[in-house]
Amino acid sequence: MNQPLSCSGLRLLNRRGFLGETAAGLGGIALASLLAEQGLLAAEPIRPVIDPTQPHAARPPHHEAKAKNVLVIFCAGAVSQLETWDWKPELVTWDDTPLPGGPEVTFQGPAGNLARPQYAFRPRGETGKMVSDLIPHLAELTDRFAFVHSLTSRTNTHGPAENFLSTGSAFDGFPSLGAWVTYALGSENQDLPAFVSILDPRGVPQASSNNWGPGFLPAEFQGTTLSAAAPVRHLKVAGDVSTAADQATRGLLRQLNERHLSEHPADGALAARIASYELAARMQLSMPEVGSLAEESPATLEAYGANDADATKAAFARNCILARRLIERGVRFVQLFNGAYASGGELNWDGHQKLKEQYDRHAMILDQPAAALIRDLEQRGLMEETLVVWCTEFGRMPFFQKGAKGRDHNPDGFTCWMTGAGVRQGVSYGKTDDLGVKAVEDVSSLYDFNATILHLLGLDHTRLSYLHNGFERRLTDVHGRVLRELLT
Amino acid sequence: MPQQVVLPLVLIAVVLGSMAKQTAAADAPDFVAEIQPLLVAHCYECHAGEAAESGLRLDIKSEAFRGGDGHGPAVVAGDAQASPLVQFTRSDDPQLQMPPPEAVSARLTAEQQALLAAWVDAGAVWPEGVDTAVLADRRDHWAFRPVVRPQLPDVDQPEWVRNGLDAFIKSRLEAVGLSPSPEADRRTWLRRVTLDLTGLPPTPEESVAFLTDQTADAYERVVERLLASPRYGERYAQHWLDIVRYADTHGYEVNTERVNAWPYRDWVIDALNRDLPYDHFVRQQLVGDAFGEDAATGFLVTAAVLLPGQIGADEASKRQARQEALADIIINVSDSFLGLSVGCARCHDHKFDPVAQRDYYTMQAFLSGVRYEDRPYHAPAAEAARARIAELKQQQAAAEAELAAGPTDERRGQLEHDVAELKKQLTAETVKTRVFAGSFQKPDEVFLLSRGDPEQPGDLVWPQSLAAFDDQLQPVGLGPGAGDQTRRLALANWITHPSHPLTARVMVNRLWQWHFGIGLVESASDFGRNGTLPSHPLLLDWLAAEFVANGWSVKDMHRQIVLSATYRQAGGPGQPEAMAIDADSRLLWRFPSRRLEAEAIRDSMLAVSGRLNLVMGGRGFDLFRSRGGLSGFPPIEQFGPEGRRRMIYAHKIRMEKESVFGAFDCPDAGQTLDRRRRSTTPIQALNLFNSPFTIDEAEAFAARVTQEVAGAGADDEHVDEQISQQVERAFLLAVARAPDDVEREACCAVVREHGLASLCRALLNTNEFLFLP
Repeated sequence: MNQPLSCSGLRLLNRRGFLGETAAGLGGIALASLLAEQGLLAAEPIRPVIDPTQPHAARPPHHEAKAKNVLVIFCAGAVSQLETWDWKPELVTWDDTPLPGGPEVTFQGPAGNLARPQYAFRPRGETGKMVSDLIPHLAELTDRFAFVHSLTSRTNTHGPAENFLSTGSAFDGFPSLGAWVTYALGSENQDLPAFVSILDPRGVPQASSNNWGPGFLPAEFQGTTLSAAAPVRHLKVAGDVSTAADQATRGLLRQLNERHLSEHPADGALAARIASYELAARMQLSMPEVGSLAEESPATLEAYGANDADATKAAFARNCILARRLIERGVRFVQLFNGAYASGGELNWDGHQKLKEQYDRHAMILDQPAAALIRDLEQRGLMEETLVVWCTEFGRMPFFQKGAKGRDHNPDGFTCWMTGAGVRQGVSYGKTDDLGVKAVEDVSSLYDFNATILHLLGLDHTRLSYLHNGFERRLTDVHGRVLRELLT
Repeated sequence: MPQQVVLPLVLIAVVLGSMAKQTAAADAPDFVAEIQPLLVAHCYECHAGEAAESGLRLDIKSEAFRGGDGHGPAVVAGDAQASPLVQFTRSDDPQLQMPPPEAVSARLTAEQQALLAAWVDAGAVWPEGVDTAVLADRRDHWAFRPVVRPQLPDVDQPEWVRNGLDAFIKSRLEAVGLSPSPEADRRTWLRRVTLDLTGLPPTPEESVAFLTDQTADAYERVVERLLASPRYGERYAQHWLDIVRYADTHGYEVNTERVNAWPYRDWVIDALNRDLPYDHFVRQQLVGDAFGEDAATGFLVTAAVLLPGQIGADEASKRQARQEALADIIINVSDSFLGLSVGCARCHDHKFDPVAQRDYYTMQAFLSGVRYEDRPYHAPAAEAARARIAELKQQQAAAEAELAAGPTDERRGQLEHDVAELKKQLTAETVKTRVFAGSFQKPDEVFLLSRGDPEQPGDLVWPQSLAAFDDQLQPVGLGPGAGDQTRRLALANWITHPSHPLTARVMVNRLWQWHFGIGLVESASDFGRNGTLPSHPLLLDWLAAEFVANGWSVKDMHRQIVLSATYRQAGGPGQPEAMAIDADSRLLWRFPSRRLEAEAIRDSMLAVSGRLNLVMGGRGFDLFRSRGGLSGFPPIEQFGPEGRRRMIYAHKIRMEKESVFGAFDCPDAGQTLDRRRRSTTPIQALNLFNSPFTIDEAEAFAARVTQEVAGAGADDEHVDEQISQQVERAFLLAVARAPDDVEREACCAVVREHGLASLCRALLNTNEFLFLP
């Protein structure tokens, strides 16, 4: 497939290659109006106007939004689609045989034989969709989910792939999805951060702060990291400053700043700084309240597994409750991590060597709390306006690695799902081949997946943009198709 | 096995058969009446205008016949079956068909498809003069034309003009009916120029000296003092490091330490301090190994890079990774020096600028010998370390020989201790012999890659300067035999040619931006056709011409700018008519005040507290207790003297922001950054008001003030007087002025009740302290 139709087009050391701009004459003007009538002109970029004194003020979407808030459950390390949502009975038939024509070497090394799913699958709910016993609590919710089984990534390396999932670029330095969303929409709650990233109790994910970074967007759209165990940094004054001294200092600062402002009226940046100290003071009051689980009922704690004997599971469950409390209070974008850094699969879903042994543990931590979170959001009526996304950076190979009992990275066909506001229930979109090597039907990219998330929030992914180094940058670069098949 | 982006168009080769050619029919469809309307309605949504998809335009005859990226002519006259236009519009495969399913435009009906095919088979007659658009020459763009030194314009108030640049500013203001603001008072100018050039506030002594200096050249002597200070290089190097995204780690997921990257950072500081002419500054960063400036080549490899363990074990993954690494070098070279995004032409011809895909690969061929590696360092410091290593090894051998000979127990203890000590020293010295800078090998063969895909190599190419500039600059081309250094030197000479239309313009614009917050060209790293137009085009050319004429001296540019009447204006409240026309002060009817950057804030706090450690150079101090892994980067909250050095000497972790000041839009060193954002967030307020760093420095600041206001002691009569003096001293240190009566009273009350540190904490948080006035 290396040969395109003709090489002549490639031989561009030719002055004509520089000739490109439209200097529209009369014909061009006529054409523009013709295209405009037909609605065919390329859409103009939309760059939100940010009030510097209220950068997180709620801003209107581009079109009617189905969802107001987003909760992203991010499973780091690449969850095997073959052990969870993508049922491949053929793998049982061909268990322990070589994949004919398969690759000899994949990401981590030589490929071994095909390997059957490591867990039993059974039909779930009214749809009867086959889902694995690995995640029994989540499996009970199968009917609610809209699955995409045909996702593809641009890279097979964890860090760049997490970048790609979270920022639409495999490189470091691009704005995260949450930053884009809060840049576009602001937040409903001015006393809390607009974008919160809740870190897994086991540690940070592979691409770390790239997943919640602002990239080249202003810093106010960066995710604030916290967890049920670790609150926002610098919420209280350091050292042994007394409350009285603290308040007096704050008052004096305000007085000095206001005097300075009176000499520089109409300077938005100065006024914005004064406002930011007021906001900070409100956050000092509201953050401890949202982070406290004291008012949660014993039944709720029990349902999530918040007092589980396994400390990691209990900590993740508490993070799940925190996620709900943030959504309840109108935080626009909550990112909930399950799984940490690369660790030979010990602390995240990167099951290269002993997949089953490690997945037993990872699933135990994820399953009950995450399922309880979805049910809780439903029971409180929050699903009406909340989009819940479950995602992972890529999938895994249908064969084991040579000499191991685990699967290597596979960016060519993996599963993520979404549920909640605006999402059709019980849909399975796209397919991988019979063995799960790669996506073959309705092949979709993570650009498409992200475009769909923005669409549900009322945002046009082709127009939401930010001018950086002379480019209209978008979350979806020049790609992306809204997966309308998933929408109500 | 990285995912290849296989675009549907490629698959056409499969679809195409060797079907018999039909002959032209006598009643061929008419292009204007029948075919063009089809193209307008069904294709122009994406394939018309400047930003046409896949580089294919169907609104211009020559472009349609030339075809888009990588697929040859869209129309092969007389052969519908071989014409992509016909094939794609006919296909039922959703991966292939045009318009694609997600397009707004409808598909062609069977009749329309037949009509189109008939037109092609009949010879694809497309009359001249009916195109809906006209091609313009992409080289016809202001920034690609030669710099022509303009005449100074005449202005109404020539007495306002202090030097050439003022004439251009004034003339532009006059054109829109605005006047400059009054001159800022001396105190304001001193604080502005000191923070601007050194990133530190003036000391009370410097303020007094200047405010009482009545000589004619008082301003000039301040500027000379500041430019001669090593603090200047430490300040301006940070601006450059933002552009090249310097960091002390490799980035991406493992983000391990890039142990010996810092010699490049130190080289930039030193180069600025000794006013290395800018053309040399460029040349040494590209090929410093040829000029005895080895560390300068760190420039080539400042980007994040995947390490061998992070790249797939298969060959395709390795080829892909190599292409990514080379792409980052090209971005550094073209964005930094040329303000031209050559990197965009990696997969297709540039959408806006006269950069063909071939240009990308011919530029890559200049640089394809460069690798990212820790390698032997060729510098006097490294040679000294090598000599020391030889010495230490001799001592070690002697000690070991004596040990082998069976010494007394007492002697053995001493010798063992010595050997251990020598080994430690050897390790320390060995580090000094290595550097992370460009590592140079035989250049890779470079192929034009279809769609940028390393698995689809096309023509073999050799180094060739950007063809768009061939009319103005002697083109530079090299054959396959040219070695790596020859290639880089040729590229460096081409970029620094005094007639290059971009190099000087781009740099003087950056300097302007660093002084005024925004450049004459707002898109400082994009002077291409998608960049912004200059606010003062003649001024930009005048500055560029001055720059080259004065031997590319950066310090000379600083002098001209900071001594100008434009720079000396007050930044105060706006005239309503000026605010209405130009609220952003782009026309510079006042000085645009703005918040300081993270580094300047931290450094200034330390300067004011009296604890700034001015040790220069070397590996740098840590901001985090440990790196990466499960714990991430736990920040150091309280620093010793080493951690109170200037922030440019912090060991910079890519993608990991410092826990207090990172929130002040500190770049993450992921992508090249042309200009700092200046956001305002409650997180910044929490950090600056509550962090241990602030509390520590506020206390040190208070202790300093207490010590410096010696005075009548603690008896009650003198306490109020002493507090008043302390308040005054604290103000002078922080904001270079005494408090007014209202401030003094409020501050004294707080100090009396809660101590001096409370006042100091407030001062370190004031807008006045944090803003360039």
